[in-house]
Amino acid sequence: MTSGMTAELLDGGLAEDLATASLAMARRFACGATLWCVAPGWEPHAHHMAVEFVHPVIVGTRALPAFALTGSDLVQRARVAVRAGDILVAVAAARDGVVSDLMRRAPAWGATSAWIGSGPRPAAGAADHVLWIDDQDAMAPATGGFVFLYHLLWELTHVCFEHPGLLEPEPQAANDACITCGDEGRLAEVVGPASDDLDPSGFGTSDLGTPSLGSPGLGSRALVRTAAGQETIDVTLVAPVSVGDLVLVHAGAALTRPGGG
Amino acid sequence: MGATEPAGFLYPFIDAEERDPRPLLAELAASARAKAAESAALQRATLAACADLVAAGGAAMAERFAAGGRLYAFGNGGSSTDGATFAALFAAPPVSTPPVSTPPASSPLASSPLACRPLPALNLTADQAVLTALGNDVGFDVIFSNDVGFDVIFSRQIIAHARAGDIAVAFSTSGSSRDLMAALGEARRRRLLTVGFAGYDGGEMARSDVVDYCFVVRSQSVHRIQESQAILGYHLWAATQQAMHKTVDRCVHPDVHNRPSSGPNPNGGTE
Repeated sequence: MTSGMTAELLDGGLAEDLATASLAMARRFACGATLWCVAPGWEPHAHHMAVEFVHPVIVGTRALPAFALTGSDLVQRARVAVRAGDILVAVAAARDGVVSDLMRRAPAWGATSAWIGSGPRPAAGAADHVLWIDDQDAMAPATGGFVFLYHLLWELTHVCFEHPGLLEPEPQAANDACITCGDEGRLAEVVGPASDDLDPSGFGTSDLGTPSLGSPGLGSRALVRTAAGQETIDVTLVAPVSVGDLVLVHAGAALTRPGGG
Repeated sequence: MGATEPAGFLYPFIDAEERDPRPLLAELAASARAKAAESAALQRATLAACADLVAAGGAAMAERFAAGGRLYAFGNGGSSTDGATFAALFAAPPVSTPPVSTPPASSPLASSPLACRPLPALNLTADQAVLTALGNDVGFDVIFSNDVGFDVIFSRQIIAHARAGDIAVAFSTSGSSRDLMAALGEARRRRLLTVGFAGYDGGEMARSDVVDYCFVVRSQSVHRIQESQAILGYHLWAATQQAMHKTVDRCVHPDVHNRPSSGPNPNGGTE
């Protein structure tokens, strides 16, 4: 195929992946979501995606809240900007460490995530929606394929708005919950010491010199952020933890760290 | 209302009670495939129709670059970002880092084993201070009788930055944006090479005589136009790279500072 041509882009289930992602985005927008767009290697793509939603090319189409996040320290900027219920879409190669980190944290922030790219794929489950072009050409970001994918995300999302009955929030996967306590394993990001633990002795220092919590003999509780909001949990089992660490919470306690977390 | 419910418009409450997403998801996936086919067909037709123009435009741009010229890309809205991507392709080609592997056989560069050369290319929408300063400055209507505020955001930058021998590249879907036409006209007056990307019937870019190389994507869809402009831009970049390898061999000394002066500014601004 000619480099970057869109003809064969939708092989391998990408059309279905786009459909699923678009419905998920429409559901989130219907509930008031803001779309956050990142593209660390090709920032114009982040701007292009955002302007599609903010200022639609089709007159009379609803304007939707969308911003491009650009510049340095994207994880910290997204952490502050993203609210629970929002949407985070990245355009980046699978090897992009910053985007990989953003996608990993999105569930703790309550954001639906989508990752657009080409070439080698990210690991399974790296984002809620992986919209991937299996084209090894390094020029793919500049040949229109990515533009086509986020054009379609916009077009299909607006088709979904014509189906109000399908825009109810996605039903919770009930079988994920624990049969004993009704809670589920949820991703959480450590925010700081527990608010009733603000005695400076509650802060230890990790080997890296960053504040850590739950060190032996120090405070064993931490304030964390999950999709449901902030809560105080016990971190004894995973101590010591540092601000920004990801942990899996169940029934008020951090049980483990997610793979690589 | 979807194709699955042809009578839905008679009974709007039916849509509100729609609960099974599977028909919609199937419809969306089918729509995605249809649009992909449409986009690809337009890309093929556009590349075929513009093949000679791409080769000639790439050769002309290579001559300007070899003589020390700079490229300025600009556009409005989504097209501004396509211009930024185009400029980035010139300034920082993705495969320019050594060792350069042989491009895929499908690439326009497949016949060239040579490295992609980074070239000076700038995006005129990158600086929000400049854009808002120019867009806000109603005082310019005194100088440019037909241009006020936003219409001068690119032409004023051409006046400030450009020299004879540089390259101005405008991205538009309509082909008629007033700010782009003002900049292209200014670029022509200053003896820049002028390149325009347009859609529909080419608009003012195709009708005017200020665009040296005008690439028209003949479609009525803004999105499909932009997708074809992207691959056109990529091929224009590849043609420039290939021509550079030939041009540089006979280029004596591309020293930007020794170029002949472009003379006094005919519209020298307020300074």
